[in-house]
Amino acid sequence: MTLKRDLSIDFLGVHCENPFFLSSSPVGSNYEMCAKALECGWGGIFYKTISVFIPNECSPRFDIASKENTPWTGFKNMEMTSDKPNEVNFGYIKRLKKDFPEKVIVASIMGSNDDEWAVLAKEAQKAGSDMIECNFSCPQMTSSTMGSDVGQSPELVKHYCEVVSANTTLPVIAKMTPNIGNMEIPARAAIEGGAKGIAAINTVKSITNIDLDLNIGMPVVNGKSSVSGYSGAAVKPIALRFISDLKHDPLLKSIPLTGIGGIETWRDCVEFLLLGASNIQVTTAIMQYGYRIVEDMISGLSFYMEDYGIKKVEDIVGKALDSIVGADELDRTYKILVKVNEENARAVKDVMFHVLTGGIRQ
Amino acid sequence: MSDIVKKAYAREAETGFNYRTAMEEASRCLLCEDAPCSRDCPASTNPAKFIRSLRFKNIKGAAETIRENNPLGGCCAWICPYDRLCEKACSRVGIDRPIKIGSLQRFLIEEEERGKMDFIKAKPLCGKKVACIGSGPASLSCARQLAAEGVSVEIYECKASAGGILSHGITPTRLPQRVVDHDIELIKRLGVKFHFGEKISKENIDSLKDKFDAIFIGIGLWSSKKPDIKGKEFSGVEYALDFLERARSNTKSVVLNDDVVVIGGGNVAMDCVSTAKQLGAKNAVIVYRRSIEEAPADIDELKFVQSMGIPVITNFIPEEIKGSEGRVKGIRFRGRDGYSELLLNAQHIIFAIGQEQVSEFKDIKEKENIFIGGDAAHSSGATVVEAVAQGKASAVKILNYFKSLDSLCKTGGKV
Repeated sequence: MTLKRDLSIDFLGVHCENPFFLSSSPVGSNYEMCAKALECGWGGIFYKTISVFIPNECSPRFDIASKENTPWTGFKNMEMTSDKPNEVNFGYIKRLKKDFPEKVIVASIMGSNDDEWAVLAKEAQKAGSDMIECNFSCPQMTSSTMGSDVGQSPELVKHYCEVVSANTTLPVIAKMTPNIGNMEIPARAAIEGGAKGIAAINTVKSITNIDLDLNIGMPVVNGKSSVSGYSGAAVKPIALRFISDLKHDPLLKSIPLTGIGGIETWRDCVEFLLLGASNIQVTTAIMQYGYRIVEDMISGLSFYMEDYGIKKVEDIVGKALDSIVGADELDRTYKILVKVNEENARAVKDVMFHVLTGGIRQ
Repeated sequence: MSDIVKKAYAREAETGFNYRTAMEEASRCLLCEDAPCSRDCPASTNPAKFIRSLRFKNIKGAAETIRENNPLGGCCAWICPYDRLCEKACSRVGIDRPIKIGSLQRFLIEEEERGKMDFIKAKPLCGKKVACIGSGPASLSCARQLAAEGVSVEIYECKASAGGILSHGITPTRLPQRVVDHDIELIKRLGVKFHFGEKISKENIDSLKDKFDAIFIGIGLWSSKKPDIKGKEFSGVEYALDFLERARSNTKSVVLNDDVVVIGGGNVAMDCVSTAKQLGAKNAVIVYRRSIEEAPADIDELKFVQSMGIPVITNFIPEEIKGSEGRVKGIRFRGRDGYSELLLNAQHIIFAIGQEQVSEFKDIKEKENIFIGGDAAHSSGATVVEAVAQGKASAVKILNYFKSLDSLCKTGGKV
């Protein structure tokens, strides 16, 4: 009897039973994990990035940032692309498409030269993937010919999009790095190169903690550490900003977006949709809470649509975009005033405390 | 002692969570994969799922889970013995203290009521009719499950209002009538019809068979056990259920004298003594024949009574009620140790030593299309959540019975 509405939405011409997808990461890195996720209700999967390069991972490679009683505000990882041979990964994708024909499987790929991008694109299509995501944004690759170093170069992004597009008939999505001032520049380059959609954001370059006993950054890898990608609830505001920027760009506003970054609840999903994403990707919250979190995304979005009389998910895509304007466009005659009277006089002391620290301003 | 609880009769025992405090509590939950709390709920209310929904800001989904699984989700939130069910099982116990599951459930049901949420929709009528006798927890639960499946249900209640022990027994401080009424209102909305003031005798059951395809008997245990004790005929001696019902129907009718002695060690005894105290008794005291460890009352009920400053005297067995001119004057007890003695001044004595089946229904058995559930199926009282579970189970049995009838019809009556 549980309330479930039709949450289906098309993304780049591919029908998705709901907009909730796994993002390319450890949570979707083999057949069993993906099958479990799909059984839990996820609409599709961006499979863990496949590269010709087989990474030699460091250990440990995760760390978390906490605040008071919230154990994870953010999550840092140092993992690179899939450590499995390509034929194994493409074999899994083929099996997933066979066993879950209604679900959507996207192959995330990353090459370091034209030949690698081309062969990965061909293999992805041959395996039956519905779309291809080009990973231009992993910030912890050991080679500067891959990952976010590539994503920061509009020329390379455009070029590799051209190579991939020339070797597949599937829709191509370019995944952007947030480690850049203006994401519109590489995003435009991707579209010029033949990409049909944009994914944003990948992880934010970070150092989460320093071990104060050792004076070494965390995680400690045999006495050293390094900068790597930050994700989880802490990066949601950064992701929303980039999504909004892309959707406000005159050349990109009609390009389909898949939103990623700190999504945990149905409310987070709706926020991404309202700013113009028509697909949602999640990893960190799954690592923390399990694939089952999609149940409350489905249920919560269903109730939300019922409450607001929304018939199709696509009807809310971009609905909040007009509310985000330049700082120069805000009405600066508008003021919120603190009303102090006898009833709340006890709070005045608190108010003054925050006024003095700049926490309350007119 | 400075912080003795002085709650007026029917004043609610504690204020509930708001969104912020509920979220704080939900964020303590470890979100176990194979959650022991859900495993240990007799009515399968599935707290692990509703807490997880709350944690992920899906308030409606959380309330929906409770309401779907537990037709009396509101009442259970108030009176379930959480400390020995889901909260006892809670994994968080291994770290510090369990999640306040009951309080979270109460918050979500209050949200359901505030938001006028209506989750359960009845399937189209299937043509089958069931009579439920009694309108207590088991009957209400059975009726809700059947009505949701499209069965026409009519409830026969000999009293003037629905709820059984919920409305006529348990003290409203622990279970406010508004909570009971909300649960019942949602059941009514599914088309369940109530006949009040209609007592169904054992003989009448057969006549109901003509009108209904099945009958569910959920009449509870409404005969107070009576002790064989000298002086029990004195005016001022009363039995628990009569006393509680009198208090609930009209507090003014309960004129309490100065000294009230309640005999018993169960939840009903606790309700009686707190009610007596709230209704003006100068001294209200419980005397129980065994030790606290042996008392059947739940610890929260005992704590509530103790928080009101009520003494609980244990290991004394009533021997004789003393009186003059037909009225109670006191009661004498014999110590369990064979040596101690106790003589208490009392103008009002309430026996809360258990309930049993009214003699008329004592030997009633399930057969063919007659189903029995709740306390009526037992010789001693159980908890509301267990009655809910049995009502649900009986509904499944009844639906299976209907299915077997249908398949008989299809085969021309041949098995």
